[in-house]
Amino acid sequence: MIPSGISGINDMLGEGIPKGSRVVYSMEPGVNGQLFMISTLASALLKKLSCLVVLPFTTVDSFRRDAMTTRSGSIKFTSKKLTFIDAIDRERIQKSTNSTDMAQKEWKAKISKICRDKNVEVIFVYLDLLSEEFGIERALKIFEPEKDDPKRTLIFEYLNLEGDAQLDRFIHDFSFDVVISIKSSFPPLAPFDYFTIAHTSWSPKPARSVPFIISEGRIVPYIPRIVVTGPAKAGKSTFITTASDDGISVDRFGLDQDSTTVAMDFGLLEWKGFFITIYGTPGQPRFDLMIPGMFTHAMGVILMVDATKPESLARAKEMKSLVKERNMPMIIVANKGDLPDRMSEADIRRGLGIRKDIPVVFISAKEKAEVRHLLESFVDSITQFPY
Amino acid sequence: MYSYKTGIEQIDQLFGGFEAGTNILILAPPMSYADQLAYALTKPVTGEYAITLSTNERAAEVVDFFKVAGSDKRFIGVIDAITKSSTPSIVDTPRLRFVSSPTDLTGIGIKFSNMIEAIFEGDFSDGEAGLFPPPIRFCVNSVSTLLMYRKLEVLYQFLHVLTAKLKKIEGVGIYILNSESFDEKTLSLIKQLMNCVIEIKIEQDGSYLRIMGIRGINPVWQKFSVTKGQVTILL
Repeated sequence: MIPSGISGINDMLGEGIPKGSRVVYSMEPGVNGQLFMISTLASALLKKLSCLVVLPFTTVDSFRRDAMTTRSGSIKFTSKKLTFIDAIDRERIQKSTNSTDMAQKEWKAKISKICRDKNVEVIFVYLDLLSEEFGIERALKIFEPEKDDPKRTLIFEYLNLEGDAQLDRFIHDFSFDVVISIKSSFPPLAPFDYFTIAHTSWSPKPARSVPFIISEGRIVPYIPRIVVTGPAKAGKSTFITTASDDGISVDRFGLDQDSTTVAMDFGLLEWKGFFITIYGTPGQPRFDLMIPGMFTHAMGVILMVDATKPESLARAKEMKSLVKERNMPMIIVANKGDLPDRMSEADIRRGLGIRKDIPVVFISAKEKAEVRHLLESFVDSITQFPY
Repeated sequence: MYSYKTGIEQIDQLFGGFEAGTNILILAPPMSYADQLAYALTKPVTGEYAITLSTNERAAEVVDFFKVAGSDKRFIGVIDAITKSSTPSIVDTPRLRFVSSPTDLTGIGIKFSNMIEAIFEGDFSDGEAGLFPPPIRFCVNSVSTLLMYRKLEVLYQFLHVLTAKLKKIEGVGIYILNSESFDEKTLSLIKQLMNCVIEIKIEQDGSYLRIMGIRGINPVWQKFSVTKGQVTILL
């Protein structure tokens, strides 16, 4: 396996990129996605793999400087296992040939020679100009191994001007093993970049989309909002406090000196390569009007119930109805699941009227390990959810 | 909806300027000062921002034009597609961004998006605030150079994305294309992306323009000049 160099993606791919596979990072115009290819290159160099980088659009010097700036300097460009073909080589090939057939042969011969001489294991290709010059099919053929050559890992970056139709071609016509599409929203909406693992050849899992941010030269998958909802005193604030690295709760004390959330809880955690924000809704019916707004841009909902209070299920069912119109993953968390007088899973399912495919998990919201384990499963289900 | 003043009396008096979301092609022969006209239309008025994609001049030269024309440089951004090839060590600033060459459409697209985001987030003008939502003028000088490096079909798709984004943010786009270097198919395809075409011709007594595609404006040839970023229609 070759680590992608991008936290979160390795887990989503199942440890990384299998050796010998063909990967494409398909970028829509304007999306800040150049760091994907550069991160994978940095990762391959760190693993001391012999790499060839084909960059017909720029010179080696420019590329190095850009990559060092983008990746905050953490890339081993001094490695002897790194070879480049750049814009100057492209110009030489163009000048020395007088047809695209000849040029294609020249490219293939040059790449084959470098691969043999340098024992290249991974080829990184900026495909844009080559696909324009030869057509995408012929451009891809340049990188096919000769007879008796070992199968090399091929990583392409492609400026996708054709949209989803081109993604389909990568998957169905060109049999890529991994197709990752990188897109963005654009002002006046808040800038919002996200990647979608559109296809892996070894897994039938559905396409999954995850937003990302770039922080200190690295790509960080970002789950902008998980909402925790449920009846009052179900343990939502405790859950968020236990889960979070940092957070706040807007509470008010009642006559019984118990606190209750009157606006929202907010928690933030960086965990397993993801940045996650958690919002907790108030549980009392008078705040129901504000709850649908909190589901805007949410990527998942945790409906929390007190497993020792069957009488609270009716209220939880009401709150579930606020979620049901939204197409997003949901999980039922039964707090105080460690107490002997708790309801059974069947009781909860019946009380809430939920489908079999919605998980019900028993935890104690005070137990960090249980809360984190629950979030791990939930992040998995979010990243695999077919939005 | 916001209107972008043009400095051309005929347009400003009738409509208050170009409507937000308009994309304008300046179709001109070589040495007709089309870039002067394009920059004059790109020059931001108070509260506006301007971004120029330059494939012909260095960023400093573009900024100089706007400074001479009286614009505040804190509201001027340039995506420079030529300097980096000779000076690879040059680094981006919030308002000056560099791509390796006009072939690098990936880089151009990213720098364009970055600048728009910086403007919307208020990180562009050293703390000076323009209007909000920000009115943005965008100039491509020139489509002709881009066409020398990239195939028409690819550039068409790329410009399609750019013009659509400008419409979305209610900006205005100004694009220069040499009318003598390309065939009818090329001109026609690029025109398809535009709402308005300003044609320029040179006669012995000076330069003439005519405006096509704006209802209510008669496309007649009018003599014009550009001085310090100000367009004057000469009667």
